[in-house]
Amino acid sequence: SNVQSTSEAEVRLYAERCGLKDLPQEQFARLAELTQTVRETGLALPRMEE
Amino acid sequence: MNKPNTASEFTDTTSPLHFLTVTEASRLIGSRQLSPVALIEAFLARITAVDETLRSYITVTAERALAGARRAEREIAAGRWKGPLHGIPFAVKDNYYTKDILTTAGSRLMLDHVPTTTSTAVARLEQAGAILLGKLNTWEYGTGNGGVYHDLPFPVARNPWDLARFTGGSSTGAGASVAAGTAMFALGSDTGGSIRLPAAACGLQGFKATFGRVSRAHCLPNCWTLDHTGPLTWTVEDNAIVMQAIAGYDADDPSSADVPVPDYRKALHAGVKGLVIGFVRDLGSEGAALDAANARALEQAALLLEQQGAIIREVRLPAPLTHYRNVTKVINWAESFSIHEKDFLERSALMGQALREKMMSGFTTRAADYLAATRLRRTLIASTDAVVRSCDALLIAGAFHVAPRFEDEETISPFTADTATTVFNVTGHPALSICTGYDDTGLPLNAQIVGRFFDEPMVLRVAQAYESATRWRERRPML
Repeated sequence: SNVQSTSEAEVRLYAERCGLKDLPQEQFARLAELTQTVRETGLALPRMEE
Repeated sequence: MNKPNTASEFTDTTSPLHFLTVTEASRLIGSRQLSPVALIEAFLARITAVDETLRSYITVTAERALAGARRAEREIAAGRWKGPLHGIPFAVKDNYYTKDILTTAGSRLMLDHVPTTTSTAVARLEQAGAILLGKLNTWEYGTGNGGVYHDLPFPVARNPWDLARFTGGSSTGAGASVAAGTAMFALGSDTGGSIRLPAAACGLQGFKATFGRVSRAHCLPNCWTLDHTGPLTWTVEDNAIVMQAIAGYDADDPSSADVPVPDYRKALHAGVKGLVIGFVRDLGSEGAALDAANARALEQAALLLEQQGAIIREVRLPAPLTHYRNVTKVINWAESFSIHEKDFLERSALMGQALREKMMSGFTTRAADYLAATRLRRTLIASTDAVVRSCDALLIAGAFHVAPRFEDEETISPFTADTATTVFNVTGHPALSICTGYDDTGLPLNAQIVGRFFDEPMVLRVAQAYESATRWRERRPML
């Protein structure tokens, strides 16, 4: 992967700003993992302005 | 290609009432040889007998169903027969809203949710005289990440062909109920295959019609631009009968198509002689391959259609399956999160793992990637449509694997991921999952018949020709 990894701390900060209230604490590591997967999937989509 | 095994070793069986098809039951009811009350009582008895184990239902509406049956009996006795669905028992996935009936969508977040509206599809079926038996099991919110974690408020539905196996999702109860005879037909919803995958795993005919053909109004949405609603039935003709009642424009669904509804049974038995069937034999080398048994059955289906007079032309999809799958993933993550954002931000601890992880994925999906997916989608629609329009219909794989065992956890997600079903959520073409036989252990095999936009009659016609030439419909699961 050439996507910079997302730390759990970054994810926590983003989640806090978005108002995420009751995600169990142990789930933040998984959220960081999924953030990485989602970004890789999104960036892998072939790009096409018209 | 090998000569098709048309299952001549199967023996004819006399159907108990719960294994009648819609076509058979409506003929008996219409000629007053079968009472709707007796039919509903038989289904309620079947539910009582097997559903403690099968878990196809979340809610059974027995008293309401019996009242409906008595009303149908009076109407028919008075000469007011409404048509082939009058007195026919059905059930719907628990993400279809039903007025005054608990609608949980399989979630702790909706355990006390009693809607004040009824989904258009259910209302149309009831107007046609069909009788609702209850609400069927489903993945939470009709969605997830492909995994099954046994952490929802209701036990998982089980596959009637082998209770240790998965039904396919997300319309889990819909697949289990029709195969097991706890409903004569069912309605499911399909964002990436959630009608067709349970149909594939449970040996049914499951139809995701053209996008906009069947109303999604007053169903819990999952992903606005990929969601479809539709029927799971035992036979193709049953599917045509149900489609006749539920298809058509609905102002309550912003994506509903204002296109006339044809007679779905008019050309059902016209055969395939002279039709050009595009056979997608090669799905590319990316990702998992089709199971050997499903690959054999697909080849045999092509041969059988050719023997019926069809012209089989090999065609290819215009892009790798990965493109369709990733477009589906990104759009689904983003739109689904937009729909359920408040639930995730405020009550994610109540969600099961599958839904929570999907919401997490949507939480971090970038706008640029969502738009990249929708831009790519537009070209995929155009290029795939060119392939579809070059033929009368396509024959293509559906689910690549047979139903996996629950205990083989690493095989559950691949059952959902390794498919060619998402292709037609991306493009919107009508796609019908058909049963193409059984593997050596008796598990159902499957393929898809795909048609041009709004050409559901052709899809049903090709599927009927295949079904009529085989004897797969004579085998039912033993419970």
